[in-house]
Amino acid sequence: MIYFMLAAGLSIVFGLLRFVNFAHGAFYMLGAYFAYWIVEHSHNFWIALFVAPLIVALLAWVAERFVLRHMYKLEHGFHILFTLGLAWVLQELVISAWGPVGFNMPIPNGLQGVFILGDIIVPVYRLFIIGFGIVVAIALWLLLERTRLGNVIRAGSERPDVVMLLRINVYRYFGIAFALGAGVAALAGALVAPIRGVEPFMQWEALLVAFVVVVVGGLGSFSGALVGGILIGVVQSLMSAIWPVAANVTIYVAMLVVLLLRPNGIMGRAQ
Amino acid sequence: MMKFVRAHAELWAALVTAAVLPVFLSSASLAAEVLIFAMAAAGCTLLLNYAGLMSFGQGIFFGIGSYVLGYLSVNSGWPLGWLLLAVVLGGILAAAVVGWICIRQTGIYFVLLTLALAEMIFFLAESATGITGGDNGLLGVPMLPLNIGGWPLFANKTPWGYYTFVAAVFIVVFAFLGLVVKSYFGRTLIAMRENPDRLAAVGYNTKSLKMLAFMISGAITAVAGALYAMMTGIAPLESINLDRSEIILVVSIIGGGGNIIGAILGALFYVLLSNWLSEIWPRWLMLFGFLLMLISLYFQGGLWGALQTLGRKVGLWRPSGDTRCKTD
Repeated sequence: MIYFMLAAGLSIVFGLLRFVNFAHGAFYMLGAYFAYWIVEHSHNFWIALFVAPLIVALLAWVAERFVLRHMYKLEHGFHILFTLGLAWVLQELVISAWGPVGFNMPIPNGLQGVFILGDIIVPVYRLFIIGFGIVVAIALWLLLERTRLGNVIRAGSERPDVVMLLRINVYRYFGIAFALGAGVAALAGALVAPIRGVEPFMQWEALLVAFVVVVVGGLGSFSGALVGGILIGVVQSLMSAIWPVAANVTIYVAMLVVLLLRPNGIMGRAQ
Repeated sequence: MMKFVRAHAELWAALVTAAVLPVFLSSASLAAEVLIFAMAAAGCTLLLNYAGLMSFGQGIFFGIGSYVLGYLSVNSGWPLGWLLLAVVLGGILAAAVVGWICIRQTGIYFVLLTLALAEMIFFLAESATGITGGDNGLLGVPMLPLNIGGWPLFANKTPWGYYTFVAAVFIVVFAFLGLVVKSYFGRTLIAMRENPDRLAAVGYNTKSLKMLAFMISGAITAVAGALYAMMTGIAPLESINLDRSEIILVVSIIGGGGNIIGAILGALFYVLLSNWLSEIWPRWLMLFGFLLMLISLYFQGGLWGALQTLGRKVGLWRPSGDTRCKTD
């Protein structure tokens, strides 16, 4: 489910804005760090879970408003370079602020312990993440498919000029979409922090996994992010149970297989 | 004279760089590192600026070069000439595999595929501890002399001795790349970058063009990786990780200019600045992050492009052609 949330944010930004975001992992990392910081000071996980993504979304909105907006017309290559640079800067800023060593974050009260189901032992917090992920998925789907905001963003990604003619400022909505994508990534970071802790280099594995999920599911497809996230998540957990050494390699093999069989991803639309 | 310099610009740029570096740098290994990164970046430039392929997988070839040289020099006892040949073949083979998979896709999918392959091969190298030494890397890579017909051409006994060897390879590589980009093949690559559909319609096989570009790039990058392993005496896991791929790409882009010579400039800038900054400011990567953002926003031709613009304004020379890099 974490994979889904990571990929959903990336997919929103790419699918709707045609913008490739290498700083996506950095937003995830920032979400985790802000959550850690808020928990340290307020001892309340729920505030952290709510506020951290909000701050990141706000930062992303500012970045979009003042810089990225001028880049949509450039080629994808420059999007990649710019956001790669941004990811480095954010990583170094985080190291400057919190140091290069990671921290652990406690699992919130009320979500500790395990849930025993026959022979299987499941930590309650993991169940909570799954439940939360489902809620986020439904909310995002409703937002994109059933609201005016979603309509404008989707229409704007197809034909921005026509939407502009309807006296709608598409770019304002693009800013919101970008912030939304970053916020969802930060939410994933905040959720995962109690399990894996926070450290400055956590963004890269997240970025790569997000790319894999998005490519497997189909770039720019929301349901693809969901399917891909679940598929890759299941493949990885199965492999780490069967053959731990190969677990990391397997997801990339899975990606290659999918790409060679279905070049546009499982749920992807033709380019 | 001017015409002659221009016709072999890559060769001359390499000769001048290799000759001038020792004057300004007191450390032979630093100077050799500049040349090594220039080679790796030039391999990347060939893909990026000529074939229009942005590859995040150059670290694969760099790492393969390191490991092939490291493994064989420790375990086989071959002379250096054969080792380098094996490195080149290893690079070509790796590039053929990576290329075969990646060129099935274009645009952003291509970039993501190279990225994913780089990460996958990193994990493979990490788990294949028998060959690569895993986390520790391959230790004890010896400095071997290059003998030709029993006569030591390069003894490689001292750091500066090794520098001359690296410089010789560097000059050969750049002369070769100069020939490649000016050849019929090089021109066709540019045409493919500009308009792949049209080139395909005219009857060229764009896939095999891309494959060939990939193989040349892989071979050169592998040689760079091998020289690096020999210099440091170790083929570490860092040689093959994603950072290495990113750095090679970034050096190539910072140099920019849409030609091979930009890679030298990028390597000079990156190696010297990072070496200097890492002593005084541990967060130096931030500076390169900002620089990358600036380049993608304003100086899309990189340093070389910026120099050309400056030169044009001052009226020194009139560069020909488009200096921006194209990726899609």
